Amino acid sequence: MSTPTDLGRRRLLASGTAAIAAAGIGGATRAVAQAAPPAAAAQAKPLPAYVSWKDADSMIVHSPNTVETRWSAFGSSLITPADRLYIRNNLAPPDVSIVANRDAWQLAVEGVKQPRTLTVADLKSLGVDALPMVLQCSGNGRGLFSDKASGTQWKVGAAGLVIWGGVPLRAVAEALGGVAPGMRFVTGTGGEAIPAGIDPKSVIVERSVPISALEDAMLAWEMNGEPIPHAHGGPLRLIFPGYSGVNNVKYIKRLAFTRDETDARIQQTRYRIVPPGGKGHPSMPAVWTMGTKSWINSPAPGQRPLRPGWVQIHGVAMGGMNAARRVEVSIDGGKTWRDAAFFGPNLGRYAWRQFVLQAQLRPGTHQLASRATDTQGNVQEERTPFNASGYLNAGWRAHMVQVTVA
Amino acid sequence: MKKLAGLAAGLVLAAASSVSAADDSVGKRLFMQDATPPCGVCHALNAAGTAGTIGPSLDEMKPDAERVARVIRSGLGAMPAYAQLTDQQVQALAQYVSKASGGAK
Repeated sequence: MSTPTDLGRRRLLASGTAAIAAAGIGGATRAVAQAAPPAAAAQAKPLPAYVSWKDADSMIVHSPNTVETRWSAFGSSLITPADRLYIRNNLAPPDVSIVANRDAWQLAVEGVKQPRTLTVADLKSLGVDALPMVLQCSGNGRGLFSDKASGTQWKVGAAGLVIWGGVPLRAVAEALGGVAPGMRFVTGTGGEAIPAGIDPKSVIVERSVPISALEDAMLAWEMNGEPIPHAHGGPLRLIFPGYSGVNNVKYIKRLAFTRDETDARIQQTRYRIVPPGGKGHPSMPAVWTMGTKSWINSPAPGQRPLRPGWVQIHGVAMGGMNAARRVEVSIDGGKTWRDAAFFGPNLGRYAWRQFVLQAQLRPGTHQLASRATDTQGNVQEERTPFNASGYLNAGWRAHMVQVTVA
Repeated sequence: MKKLAGLAAGLVLAAASSVSAADDSVGKRLFMQDATPPCGVCHALNAAGTAGTIGPSLDEMKPDAERVARVIRSGLGAMPAYAQLTDQQVQALAQYVSKASGGAK
């Protein structure tokens, strides 16, 4: 993890010529392959080293860059603790040494009347706020589409409710003379080191969102009462509440107000709503704001049969850019619905709300569903139309939980 | 007859394994330098002596050949598709990476 990229590259180049001449290498490789037990892949993978501090029992490790919260691990106390929060990195994180002196991290601010490079310490002098928000990966729910898109097969666990601490981006822009005229987007660039030999634009994490997102945006250095863990973007993360995970750039090193969207591949052709079988194109809708969505956390799927009698059916509901106003629950697969009650604190328009319906379940199999409505009257859709990359699945039917009562 | 058949089978096996060794060296060369950019710039693979850290470690992922081929052709996440590689090159890379990482089925 901590091997500097330069060293990696040197090793690569140095070993290149020698190894190619060695005819025996192929044979040696096969011996190694035979020694490795093929069953290993089927076993649960351990947490990657950089997130070894997470609660292993609460997490599903899909790959080194994708770690999901178990459906049954959300609990009922609203906030998602850092050690149960999902991980999705587009690139491996920068070296952990970047959090050794958090206040010294530098951010270049461009597209304002007085462009400047500010440290986190500078930012802390410009304002402070706390912002509760559902952080949700663009691909959350991909694994619940009946069509299969490549990428991590997330169910519900690439989401969490966290509270960010930081400075409103508006305050930073104002301190630097205001946004320069004609700018239509806010563009954030991540601090991952791109190795030489790669076109940086092909892999760099650089995202643009419409400038309307400036209103509630934040440059955050805290999450849930502690400095943002390195794995979640510390020392500094750009936050656009209501926007899906990828837009909230980690290790942000450059913040620019721009006329156009960045020409980085992650913006131009990735994270687009692409028709099934198609290829991403800048003309297609970008994956930006999240929609109305809810799901049941308890009972969770795959649990042992429940006893007959009263069950507290509870879960979370969100409106993306708006708070959830109403949640209905069905215990018969969506044929009939009953209003659920909200419980716990209301943390505002970008947070999720917890809901509960008490129901008496008879022996047998039941299909439990939830359906949210936001403050603008947007109702959670029954089915999200499939898109090629499986983004933003919010369909209530795909999120139903089947329980057995015996 | 049986002896001859056994001998013939042995020859076929020997031929197959030498083809496979050749593919390994082609695959390894693609991995380390011939593909643009070379896989090892981003991916660690002990057998190739590469320690790229920007992409996932292949020693940890242990992908099978089919998965490697699919990702090289179509890209996945931050990794772009390698559209310029021929089918043979993709196969050589897929065989090499899956075997060298321990992911071959």
